[in-house]
Amino acid sequence: MKKVRGMRVIEYLLTVLVIVTLNFALPRAMPGDPFLVLSDVEEEAAVLTEEQRQYYFELYGLDRPMHKQYLSYLGDLLRGDLGHSIYYNESVTTIILRRLPWTLFLVISTVILRTIIGSLLGSISAWCRGNFFDQFLFFNLITISEIPAFITGLLILFVFSAMLGLFPLAGAMSHFTTYSNWWDKLLDILHHAFLPIVTLTLARLGGIYLLARNSVVSVIQKDYLLTAQAKGLSKGRILLWHILRNAMLPIVTRTFLSLGSLVGGAILVENVFNYPGLGLLMQEAVNVHDYTLIQGIFLVVALFVLIANLMADLIYKHFDPRIESNEEATA
Amino acid sequence: MFKKASSRLSLLVLICLLIMMTVACGVEEATEESVEEETVDVVRLEGGQDDGYPSPYAHHRRGPGSYKMNLIFDSMLERDEEGWVPWLAEDYEISEDGLEILFTIRDGVKWQDGEEMTAEDVKFSYEYSLEYPMVRTYVQKDDEIEVELKNDNQVLFIAPEPDAVLAHDLGRIPIIPKHIWKDVDDPENYLEEEAVVGTGPYQLDEYNLEHGTYRFEAFEDFWGPNQSVEAIEFIPVSDDIMAFEQGDIDLTRIGTDLLSRFEEQEGFEVVQNPAFWGYRLRFNMEDNPQLEVTELRQAINYALDLEDVVDRDARGAGVAGNAGIVPPDHVMYNPEVKEYDQDLDKAEELLIKLGYENTTEEGVRYNEAGEELSFDLFVRDDDVRLGEIVEEQLSDLGIGVNVISEERQSHDDRLRNYDYQLIIHGGGGWGGDPDYLRERFMSPAADERGDVEQQSLGYDNSELNQLLAEQRYEVDEERREEMIFEVQEILAEDIPQIPLYYPAEYTAYRADSYDDWMHMFDHHALEHPKLSYLERD
Repeated sequence: MKKVRGMRVIEYLLTVLVIVTLNFALPRAMPGDPFLVLSDVEEEAAVLTEEQRQYYFELYGLDRPMHKQYLSYLGDLLRGDLGHSIYYNESVTTIILRRLPWTLFLVISTVILRTIIGSLLGSISAWCRGNFFDQFLFFNLITISEIPAFITGLLILFVFSAMLGLFPLAGAMSHFTTYSNWWDKLLDILHHAFLPIVTLTLARLGGIYLLARNSVVSVIQKDYLLTAQAKGLSKGRILLWHILRNAMLPIVTRTFLSLGSLVGGAILVENVFNYPGLGLLMQEAVNVHDYTLIQGIFLVVALFVLIANLMADLIYKHFDPRIESNEEATA
Repeated sequence: MFKKASSRLSLLVLICLLIMMTVACGVEEATEESVEEETVDVVRLEGGQDDGYPSPYAHHRRGPGSYKMNLIFDSMLERDEEGWVPWLAEDYEISEDGLEILFTIRDGVKWQDGEEMTAEDVKFSYEYSLEYPMVRTYVQKDDEIEVELKNDNQVLFIAPEPDAVLAHDLGRIPIIPKHIWKDVDDPENYLEEEAVVGTGPYQLDEYNLEHGTYRFEAFEDFWGPNQSVEAIEFIPVSDDIMAFEQGDIDLTRIGTDLLSRFEEQEGFEVVQNPAFWGYRLRFNMEDNPQLEVTELRQAINYALDLEDVVDRDARGAGVAGNAGIVPPDHVMYNPEVKEYDQDLDKAEELLIKLGYENTTEEGVRYNEAGEELSFDLFVRDDDVRLGEIVEEQLSDLGIGVNVISEERQSHDDRLRNYDYQLIIHGGGGWGGDPDYLRERFMSPAADERGDVEQQSLGYDNSELNQLLAEQRYEVDEERREEMIFEVQEILAEDIPQIPLYYPAEYTAYRADSYDDWMHMFDHHALEHPKLSYLERD
């Protein structure tokens, strides 16, 4: 068993190394250099003098041999140092840490909401399989989840903020105001986050709904449900205790596996709502061609996806011990 | 049957949504008037992106960063609609030999922390900015300009040679308080409250770099004209047009499509921005001897219909290129230069004179030596359409053009290495001091100052070189203007590059909230000049 775990760890470490190496190599393989834009004050591709370019090359260590740059890059990463932002003149780690909580807040809220709502709707749909309600949910949820999140976001922004004025048009909290207590502040933050979370949830609801529906449908056909019904248990108890519990396994795994793509979705949605998370930061970094910052964000997102996968792995084993014993048998 | 019913119901829901959205436009317009009246003491503008801490050392490099800093920090001179005006310096004199510039500093100016501003602060700011270059630098150590305090309110700058732009370059250095900065040796990371103490009309009240919000409040003891806005706020905006319509912000840029929507509505004003950003067609003459011939470049210019380019590429929101390079909105624009309205007959005549008489099966002209008039034209991936319009217009004359698009980084790199035959490039700064003509068109061989970045490789006109060199030393503004006019005439004759057009966006603002906006003589944005927020005659 230890051997299996060891293999897994090596697999993950190798993946991290590949990502880190790509992250190091790709920007260096691009034509031009990041210092072109430093002198690009009026959007003019101005030319730095050779002396100035040399100064920046030395400052960022780009004049050293590639293998040395790579080793020092790895060393910096191990110390949690993602480099220095060329445009913002600040440590990339600091910039990312400042924005990360907002993205995590959106993603985690969405995961919770979507899992609960998706599972419930999926179960109800399966329970009423074939009737009008099932058809209605099925059609609408699948349609909505096929629409890209940023379009759903724009529609929601237009209707609920611009037209009805129920929610703010942009940002994560009110500005230039003082809160009388933390509760007011929390409410304000929730008020601002509501539409982005709803958008992300709607965009990602279809997958969980379908999964829950299929999973419940397969559980419904099991013999033990006949037993439960024969025992005279209530419908609610059967649905919650006997069906959902047994149907949860794929849903939980899917939830963790989809964390990565949710971060991707959040990046688009943040841009629609001008929400100050990693997504908006990414757009800003691309606008000003800040390569170290773009690299930093890319790496953080990639690691986030890996960690989510690892968690899915572990949790799956926890819920379904058969997996581990199978692996042991094949190992 | 259920399936059909549910599909119909779903369709109905979608249709309802669409109807609600259409109705929404009406509702939105109806509520606008009530919102407009609320913003009287505050002007709200689009923010949401961190432009850095607004000290002369910590703001970010792009325009919005430096103009925020300028609200807090004054300089000796300022820019209004017409040109440079005295600001912290109430006057300046340039000696006859052009070597000495004497600035007389205004009395009674207070720093935002209550201290008195003196000529000593001006001298200090200059010396400090040489030691620690500010984000935007105008004068460098190598320029070897000495400074001395003449008396309590006069500062004298002594240059090793006359320089037409030096007074303005010195005049735009942000003046910082000596009592705060004298002990700071890491100005870029000096982010204390004191770092944003200036003498300007506005003080920084709140700044949040995470959300990209800024709030500036009028400085009560400001020495100059009264502020006409009590507070300026920069807030995050998702969709700027939506935010503008909702009254969240008071000013926004709009495209041609939205022109009629705001022009016709009461309470809104729309102005066209001056065109100081331009697309140009550049030639590499050195590596392509065909392009070295002036008549060929003239023929290319005659073949282009630049008005048509503006209409098709910018839907009319722009100004057609001027062969004299300097755009028509520039204060030193010469309207008398040679014009190149599209004239295919004239273009053909020129080509035939050069021997490009016959055409290949594909319709490309060639001369007796078999040299075809066929070129690669590089464009940035955003500008493919512009490239194709040029291709189409030139093909009518028998000039073959192969449009190749690239992403920005490769494009800029190619530009820097002159790795092209023809290239279309967009860039700004066309409103600035016309000395840029020297930096772009002087032959590097004639360059004594060492700051020429020639844009037309292989172009060398000795008469022009001499004029360009002289204008830089000419401190008499009228004489200099005559020289710049002459330079434009030569450029229009020689066509070392072809300005295609200068895009000119529109700015819409809520006149009911605030309508005292202005453009600086050399800059396109209404919200950038500090004079936009001050009472003016």
